[in-house]
Amino acid sequence: MSVLDRAELRALVARIAAEPASWRDLVRHGTPERHFEQLWRDDDVDVWVITWTNGNDTGFHDHDVSGGAVAVVEGELIEERLVLGGPARRLRHRAGETFDFDASHVHRMHQDSAAPAVSIHAYSPPLWRMGAYSVEADGTLRRESISYAEELRPVVAA
Amino acid sequence: MNRITSTDVGTSIDIHQHLWPEPLLRVLERRREPPMLVRGGEGWALRLAGETEALVDLDDHDPDRRAALAGADGFGRVLIAPSVPLGIEALPAGEAEPLLAAYHEGVAALPAPFGAWAAVGLAAPDPAALAPLLDDGFAGACVSAGALDSQAGCERLGPVLELLERRDRPLLIHPGPAAAPRDAPSWWSALTSYVASMHTAWYAFIAWGRRAHPRLRVCFAMLAGLAPLHRERLTARGGSTGADAGVFLDVSSYGERAVDAMVREIGVDQLVLGSDRPVIAHRELALGDAVRAAIHERNPQRLLCGARVEAPA
Repeated sequence: MSVLDRAELRALVARIAAEPASWRDLVRHGTPERHFEQLWRDDDVDVWVITWTNGNDTGFHDHDVSGGAVAVVEGELIEERLVLGGPARRLRHRAGETFDFDASHVHRMHQDSAAPAVSIHAYSPPLWRMGAYSVEADGTLRRESISYAEELRPVVAA
Repeated sequence: MNRITSTDVGTSIDIHQHLWPEPLLRVLERRREPPMLVRGGEGWALRLAGETEALVDLDDHDPDRRAALAGADGFGRVLIAPSVPLGIEALPAGEAEPLLAAYHEGVAALPAPFGAWAAVGLAAPDPAALAPLLDDGFAGACVSAGALDSQAGCERLGPVLELLERRDRPLLIHPGPAAAPRDAPSWWSALTSYVASMHTAWYAFIAWGRRAHPRLRVCFAMLAGLAPLHRERLTARGGSTGADAGVFLDVSSYGERAVDAMVREIGVDQLVLGSDRPVIAHRELALGDAVRAAIHERNPQRLLCGARVEAPA
């Protein structure tokens, strides 16, 4: 058992992205919410394919003790990194691109184009709990501890 | 028998309750050897081999009352499991048969929301006895952890497990009979021999059971005595286990800490609702709506019906 580092996670999502036969059948376009399918889970890592449409938005969140990496395989995703006292840092990840983050990372992912997006995500250790952030009317930042199920196994699975 | 079908998506399914139906109570009353029901000054009591008598509230086994409790808990379906710790299955065949027949007859006649697991006589485990019960709508079979705690046990029950596998029906592994020391507290067996036996059955399944039955869906009661949390120790000792999507764990008797630890270890997809009523009253887990939907609805469907179930959009 060993935790994958950022480079290993990024290499993993890049390799899976290059093997569409392993995930293509699990892409679900046309659902109102993001669609999640788990491709793999073991002691060290879990891997998901996520389909995004209609401006789907994660809100700002962290991954508690897990680092992660994402490969965009179709469309585009916007990543915003939370900046206190200033506008979020906005990055656009296009099909064919990958990015990674450690467990201290706080971000928001969303999709803003008419075309749907598909992405491969890997987390190590496997995603367990997450932090979901919200901002009060007076600007106070709040963090709620949630199960990974809230994010990847939502009540109404699309 | 009320069958559970894939059309029950969105329904909370409790896969682990116990109810002694009227025909079983009658046979237990007639017996002169343990397991037996005896009437004493304080009411009915259960006498088991090697154990002190325990009072039994027969209202706990009243189907109407239990159906109302299931409704109050929000459970659309409830599966009754044989009370394996009574030791009925382990009796000589001639003694076990009337008790098993009374259990099967009684639970098959229960009204909605009840379904049931079939019991398996251990004197001569017989798939031919199980097959008609599966035909009648029993969800699968339930056996004691002690019956599957070794290679020999797995082989002995092999034909029964093969039938379940062939019929795409699940197996429930439940703690079996346990003798507690005299004057031990009431929880003694539940915290010692039950945990140890479930633990052993979990590792026996990894070592022998899964290899022999690659497609069998198995549910371990009471989070398998937390056996999966020992995976680091398994690795340290030279063993290994990969993810096994055909294995499920019911959460009976555990709360947020143990269940969340199990979510960390194996993920949320293989945990199912099992309340163990009337032994334990159901308590909602404060782990969020998504965990509840997975444990109460989606995962029991997959355990019982097999094929991946798509929730309605």
